[in-house]
Amino acid sequence: MKKTRKLEDKEKKKGTLKGIAILFVVATFVPSLLEPGESLLAIKGGKILTMAGRVYEDGSLIIKKGKIWKVGKAISIPKGARIVDAQGKYVMPGIIDSMCYFGVRPFSLNSSEPVTPENRIVDAYYVFGELMRGPGGIQAEEELLCGGVTTVYIAPGSAQLIGGQGAVLKTFGRDYESLILRESASIDMTLAYAPLAESGMPSSNPPSRMSSMALLRKSLLEAQDYLKKIEEYEKMSEDEKKKSQKPSRDLGKEALASLLERKIPARIEADFVDDILAAIRLADEFKLDLVIDSGIGAYKVREILAKKKIPVVLGPPSHPIDYVSHLNNLIELQQLESERNASLLLDAGVKISISSQAKDFGGSGKATQGRWLLLEAALATGFGLSEEEALKAVTINAAQILGVADRVGSLEPGKDADVVILDGHPLRVETHVEKVFIDGCLSYEREKEE
Amino acid sequence: MKRERKCFWYFTMFIFLVSGLGLGLSGEEDTFALKGALVHPVTSASIEGATILVKKGKIVALGKDISLPEGIRVVDVRGKEIIPGLVDPHSHIGVFAANDANELPQPIGPENRALDALHLDLPDWMEAVKGGVTTVVTGPGSGERMGGQSVTIKTFGKDLEKRILKESGELKMAVNGVNLSHIPTIQANFLKAREYLKKWERYEAEADKASPPERDLSLEALAKVLKGEEVLRVHVIWANDIISFLKMKDEFGFELQFIHAPEAWKVAEEIAKRKVGVICMPIILSINLPEDLLKGIVTLQRSGVKIAMHSDYPVAPEKWFRLNASLAIRYGLEKEEALKAITINPAEMAKVDTRVGSIEVGKDADLVVLNGPWYEISSTVEKVFVDGILAYDSLREEER
Repeated sequence: MKKTRKLEDKEKKKGTLKGIAILFVVATFVPSLLEPGESLLAIKGGKILTMAGRVYEDGSLIIKKGKIWKVGKAISIPKGARIVDAQGKYVMPGIIDSMCYFGVRPFSLNSSEPVTPENRIVDAYYVFGELMRGPGGIQAEEELLCGGVTTVYIAPGSAQLIGGQGAVLKTFGRDYESLILRESASIDMTLAYAPLAESGMPSSNPPSRMSSMALLRKSLLEAQDYLKKIEEYEKMSEDEKKKSQKPSRDLGKEALASLLERKIPARIEADFVDDILAAIRLADEFKLDLVIDSGIGAYKVREILAKKKIPVVLGPPSHPIDYVSHLNNLIELQQLESERNASLLLDAGVKISISSQAKDFGGSGKATQGRWLLLEAALATGFGLSEEEALKAVTINAAQILGVADRVGSLEPGKDADVVILDGHPLRVETHVEKVFIDGCLSYEREKEE
Repeated sequence: MKRERKCFWYFTMFIFLVSGLGLGLSGEEDTFALKGALVHPVTSASIEGATILVKKGKIVALGKDISLPEGIRVVDVRGKEIIPGLVDPHSHIGVFAANDANELPQPIGPENRALDALHLDLPDWMEAVKGGVTTVVTGPGSGERMGGQSVTIKTFGKDLEKRILKESGELKMAVNGVNLSHIPTIQANFLKAREYLKKWERYEAEADKASPPERDLSLEALAKVLKGEEVLRVHVIWANDIISFLKMKDEFGFELQFIHAPEAWKVAEEIAKRKVGVICMPIILSINLPEDLLKGIVTLQRSGVKIAMHSDYPVAPEKWFRLNASLAIRYGLEKEEALKAITINPAEMAKVDTRVGSIEVGKDADLVVLNGPWYEISSTVEKVFVDGILAYDSLREEER
């Protein structure tokens, strides 16, 4: 009897969620999910971890029109503000998953060519729920929001040398546009074992590390020429322009050109030391901004990474190795693996973030999910990482590496009001996320236990 | 004369050195005590500031006021927590390394033994030890309907023979809830095995032992399950498969356990009624089950089902097996029950609970020393003893 009632409640809850999600999908004119008068919101009384160097015991945070207005200890709450009581709770910025495949169906991840810089993951970002079924709100809630994740970086898969352009997105928003923080946030590349070993397209990829690097260099050289041609044309006077042919656009080269212009970084997935060094060599030759992805063996070259200021987006500490797809490399990878990767890198002065690398939309992926990212950070604290650094690795550091620290990653005036309220210390296993605000909107609320 | 004496001196030195080296290398010490930790024996109440006395690889005393023999080594573990060596009841460690786990063209292979594919020279075993896992049941994959027999083994020890707790003891099967032929195929095989068993029983009863029936390894393995010598373990996902197997249990009377079974909580009462154990989710942070399903373990446990956690290595790393219990606590299980689910419960399911699974006098000295609350994710394993031998010490671990 009790069980049925619970099920009914659940259904009801799902119903309202569906409602929200439908709003999200069809909202073209919905002014705001906020109730009238809620454009001023005060979160009051919690322990506020700003992730910008300050911790306020019994602090307050005031949100105005989706942005953080004030944060501090003795702040007067403006009249008319709706008050969210956070007494005894922890308040922190929204969690950022700096590498995952959320919202991308597996078959959308890779193309059959080894080099496709023109591909944009944002075109495959499917946040509309199950195909021809319900809306997507529940999925986001179950996989991300219940773990406080408000921002994700998603990218093409790792079965290609150059997969394409990654994107930085929010996990909930009023409309599609408000989800997008950076439509083109990087060129995502993969070196060595992954393009060769992952199933799907082994034949079209270069067969060795040497030819992989040669193909990468060739592609970047072509992009250099392309950029030069465009620049030469742009420099011409109007008369000259009329006389000469305008260079035709090439989407792939254009994407690589933005890499050469350092508008976006190259994110290169590399685990073995030789691959990391090859990536660094490539970045040096073409003067690219480089971010190393996964980096299981990065601690072995930490001095070089620190000197060159190359950040590393680490995979989940609980599952550094994708055991099932790397059976052939397993022993090699295990010998490379160290629980202290994060802390060794950090102590050497390398900026790190911790990501879930979660694959698949609802199915069983490589490993962890965004919702457990805080637990992953907690695991790293067992191996030399301080609690503060572990939290930074899933908030402000991740935002900086993704190039969105002006908007998210810490609780500072002027930034987006992406705020998480937790019922305990964020790194304890029994702690749950209670409320998530994105752009000041209540986007998730945990069901009360009976 | 002088020379002779010198030789004798060298000889004694040599003997002394060799014996000393031998002792040092093996790390074997006859008797020692761990003193001052918060000990969770699992089968009895936790003791603050307890002493555990270990002799010849066994636990010989446990308690708050233990009088220690004079001169024995005492390891100071004040401020630490000690739990029994963990028991992972479902893993493919050592079997999957050379892709030996599945016989895909052969769906029915109860005669296959994981023991014959056991790869012992792998870093995986040490990874397991580092995570506090000292006993595993490792076996065939789920590629076949009847995968074969698993082996129950310690994760550490020089002598393979001594490491093995049970050469078999578990027959692994797998069904997918979709293919209608799975259940009748398995049923038909059990019927054959029943006849086979009868044939042998008739033969055993005969006075004249002249013409024994032909041996069939496949049916022999199934017959062992029918006789109750081995446990049948089934990889199930769907609740309907659980019901099918429960019915089969009613028909054949074998001992049954389920593996994975994310839907087991939906039919918890049916399972509890038949005293069937469930080796269940959460597989630590590996399987993307919704929060509701993760809460299912609480329903199972409260319905009276014996539950255990598993790593299903290589699905989840053996090293983090302990975190299964942490997650179970996160999703509502009591701490004591969660600890049971990674120690005594799997030991009982694998029928090795007389030796492992709890800290009790007479049991193997498989002990895990942690630097904080055993269930907290940020706590780390500091020392692991297997059969009284220090198998891992985080302080000695070289920085790689």
